[in-house]
Amino acid sequence: MRKRSKYLLLEIASPFLAIFFAVLVGALVILAIKKNPVEVYRTMFLFSFRRLDSLAIILFGATPLIFSGLAVAVGFKAGLFNIGIEGQYLIGTFLAALVGFAVKGLPAFIHLPLVILMAMVGGAVWAWLPIYLKVRRGVHEVISTIMLNYISYSLIHFFIAEVFMDKQQGLAPGVGNPLIRLPKIASTALMPKMHGFLSLFGIDLPDHVYLNWFFPLALLLAVGYYFLVWRTPFGYELRAVGQNPAGAEAAGIKPGAVFFKAFLLSGAIAGLTGLSDLLSYFGYMDLDFPRGYGFNGIAVALMGKNGPLGIVLAALLFGFLNRGAEGVQAFVGVPMDTIVILQGVMILSIVVFSEVMGRFIRQQEKKEGLQGSVVL
Amino acid sequence: MDNPKMEVSIVQLRGITKRFPGLVANDSINLEVTRGEIHAIVGENGAGKSTLMKILTGLYQPDGGEIYLNGTRVEISGPRQAIGLGIGMVHQHFMLIPRFTVLENIILGSEPARRGVLKDKEARGLVEELCRRYDFKLESQVRVWDLSVGQQQRVEILKVLYRGAEILILDEPTAVLAPQEVRELFVNLRNLKGQGKTIIFISHKLDEVLEIADRISVLRRGRMVGTVMAKETDKRQLSEMMVGRPVFLKTEKSQPRVGEERLKVKDLTVLGNLGRPAVRQVNLTILAGEIYGIAGIEGNGQSELIEALMGLRKILSGQVLIKGQLTSDKSVQEIRALGVGYVPEDRHRRGLILPMMVWENAVLGLHRLRDFSRPTGLNFKNIFAHTNRLVREFDIRLGSVDLPVRNLSGGNQQKVILAREMSRDPGLIIASQPTRGLDIGATEFVHQQLIKAREQGRAVLVVSADLEEVLSLSDRVGVIYNGEIVAEFRPEEVTPEEIGHYMLGTKSLLREGVGA
Ligand SMILES: Nc1ncnc2c1ncn2[C@@H]1O[C@H](COP(=O)(O)OP(=O)(O)OP(=O)(O)O)[C@@H](O)[C@H]1O
Ligand SMILES: [Mg+2]
Repeated sequence: MRKRSKYLLLEIASPFLAIFFAVLVGALVILAIKKNPVEVYRTMFLFSFRRLDSLAIILFGATPLIFSGLAVAVGFKAGLFNIGIEGQYLIGTFLAALVGFAVKGLPAFIHLPLVILMAMVGGAVWAWLPIYLKVRRGVHEVISTIMLNYISYSLIHFFIAEVFMDKQQGLAPGVGNPLIRLPKIASTALMPKMHGFLSLFGIDLPDHVYLNWFFPLALLLAVGYYFLVWRTPFGYELRAVGQNPAGAEAAGIKPGAVFFKAFLLSGAIAGLTGLSDLLSYFGYMDLDFPRGYGFNGIAVALMGKNGPLGIVLAALLFGFLNRGAEGVQAFVGVPMDTIVILQGVMILSIVVFSEVMGRFIRQQEKKEGLQGSVVL
Repeated sequence: MDNPKMEVSIVQLRGITKRFPGLVANDSINLEVTRGEIHAIVGENGAGKSTLMKILTGLYQPDGGEIYLNGTRVEISGPRQAIGLGIGMVHQHFMLIPRFTVLENIILGSEPARRGVLKDKEARGLVEELCRRYDFKLESQVRVWDLSVGQQQRVEILKVLYRGAEILILDEPTAVLAPQEVRELFVNLRNLKGQGKTIIFISHKLDEVLEIADRISVLRRGRMVGTVMAKETDKRQLSEMMVGRPVFLKTEKSQPRVGEERLKVKDLTVLGNLGRPAVRQVNLTILAGEIYGIAGIEGNGQSELIEALMGLRKILSGQVLIKGQLTSDKSVQEIRALGVGYVPEDRHRRGLILPMMVWENAVLGLHRLRDFSRPTGLNFKNIFAHTNRLVREFDIRLGSVDLPVRNLSGGNQQKVILAREMSRDPGLIIASQPTRGLDIGATEFVHQQLIKAREQGRAVLVVSADLEEVLSLSDRVGVIYNGEIVAEFRPEEVTPEEIGHYMLGTKSLLREGVGA
């Protein structure tokens, strides 16, 4: 039993060791551009954690990644590799924006949920084709989802630039160029910020912070994910199919049906990814709507080992890296490109290191003959 | 070394102890194996045989005790080091790549190469030389997917020989073999022994052990009971050493009292994996209250037949009726819901979800029952109660039900499946190789359970590669050859030799035109 707790401790310590390792590797990158790593890290840290607005911005930055991380994880649990989160959330965001501006006169308590629902429908619809192709035609989901990502980029471009572009942006004639964007979303469909609520507790966030109710919603979804996967019969089937489809099939579970449900669910969750930005920050969708949450979601799920707590923590780490980067850029004068490299290096080191650690632990456990499974 | 009076113990284990959460799998075990002998290790399911061998091959680290090779103390940190020391293990579950040839599989991982280029000819020469030396009948250029189970096993043995093993450990090598293949394996083993190799052999089949081994060591619940000369012992003594009480090796059955038709198969044809019919025009009927046994050499369509009955394989033509209901448009779930208990032949692939916990596996397929879940959540209390009941009733030996089922010993894994499938009051039990990997006590227990089921008016279909098992259990026996039921008997009407002929296809009764 003592041995067990030793490995549990190691398991818990390993992400921290991984971060430490990443910090070291990052330091080399910083040295390479002739800056002082200590100063850079100090700034990053102080800027992120000493300022209230930074903390809130970290939470805001983590929000979309919690959604996309959970979306990836649901797929993983069923043994599916959903690389298509990217396309799914763009389509979901687009549908949400469409219903956000085109439908008018609804009260907020109907309009907002409707918009959220549309985002999920959009994500699920975009997930439908790849899983249909997989279950019925044996096309591997990695291939089809990657292709659909490209299709979604073009489709969104077409719809924003050609079909629904806002031609009346209220610019005075001859002043600037209009943005290539959809019309603004009705105020009834926007997600309120958390400022009012937090000020009840004496926390007053400045206006340039966009922390909104999608953050607690994301946390709630992580809890829901836990219950779904580890506590319900459906989650049981999901894990059974993910770990041994042939065995599940012999037990009367239909792997195809489970694949379908899991993937559509993954797509629906993916659909929520862009909403925090859409309904709270921008208020419209344009051609430059943030991309990459889908791919980062894969890293988040990987780092978080597909567990709800791990995913939330990994997403927060991403949020911190982003916010810290802004500070470093502003105060230490490190160019943005270097910061992007630094982020990439850190994420890669963490993923690689925790994978190596995990393997080491599993190998040791195997020798001892202990193979528990820890759900974090 | 050549002087028999001065035998050196090639392997010596002293005080080996291994603890797992909740149990001691090996409790200060001492074992000596002499160079050039075939040393069998027997013991009940969960006695700690595989654990001991995993320690010897470095897969597990012991909590206490010492290992000596040729008198020198060694620490074995992993399989690679073990093979470096001349210890090689042939696993029960083959680790071969089907797409590769025999040669490629053998050299995989230690290819002879110069500057990264495979020395093809040399490798081939080496392997063919090995085959010649030990008289293994194998073509080195054949792809593994074309090999029978027995041949695949030979490839596994060659793999460890190729790496220079002096000590070969075989963990239940005969469990997957047909009787003829066992014969061939024994010829090979004797050859190896003749060339000075040492063999450690684990089996539950005492007849085999008595036949092949020089000495036999018995484990019971993690402890070493003793080592005896094979010549000086018998089945009765061995089983008593293993279990601690006499075991009745005879199954007693009353006259069958049969009822209505539970399973009817009409002109059933099913395709195999290669797209050719694997089951051809099979007809059979099983009544409530009887055990129907299917005898045959593995690979003659048994697996496909069972999968088709369970809805796991498409029916090409013909019909299956379970309790009078056509199953052709029913899902696996619906077929099971008719009251069918299913014990698949491949427990790791079909019977269990290995990484999931014992309690999760105890309700696999039953998890949607009202007792165990609502759509809102699993009922953990009932699931654990159910699991504990199965563990008690089937005497499943384990440290905790909250461990991955993978950690159970092979026999105990099988018991989890049997217990689960029998627990829902099935009207029809379909059991493939139900006692494969079970010890004699557990085999006796399973036989009793199947006979009890029959006495309770259930219909039982048993498929087994073990002819003795089929003959002793069944009320009627069908012999399957090349996808056809070529003969049907009552066991008392035939001799095993006669059935053997049908199994080999040299005789056919039910097909006209082929006389014998
Ligand atoms: N990794 C493990 N974790 C926990 N318990 C284990 C583990 N491996 C084996 N055990 C337990 O240790 C005991 C001995 O297992 P082992 O596999 O050595 O038995 P065995 O003699 O080979 O049995 P069988 O004849 O059924 O193969 C069993 O009770 C088993 O459940
Ligand atoms: Mg074993």
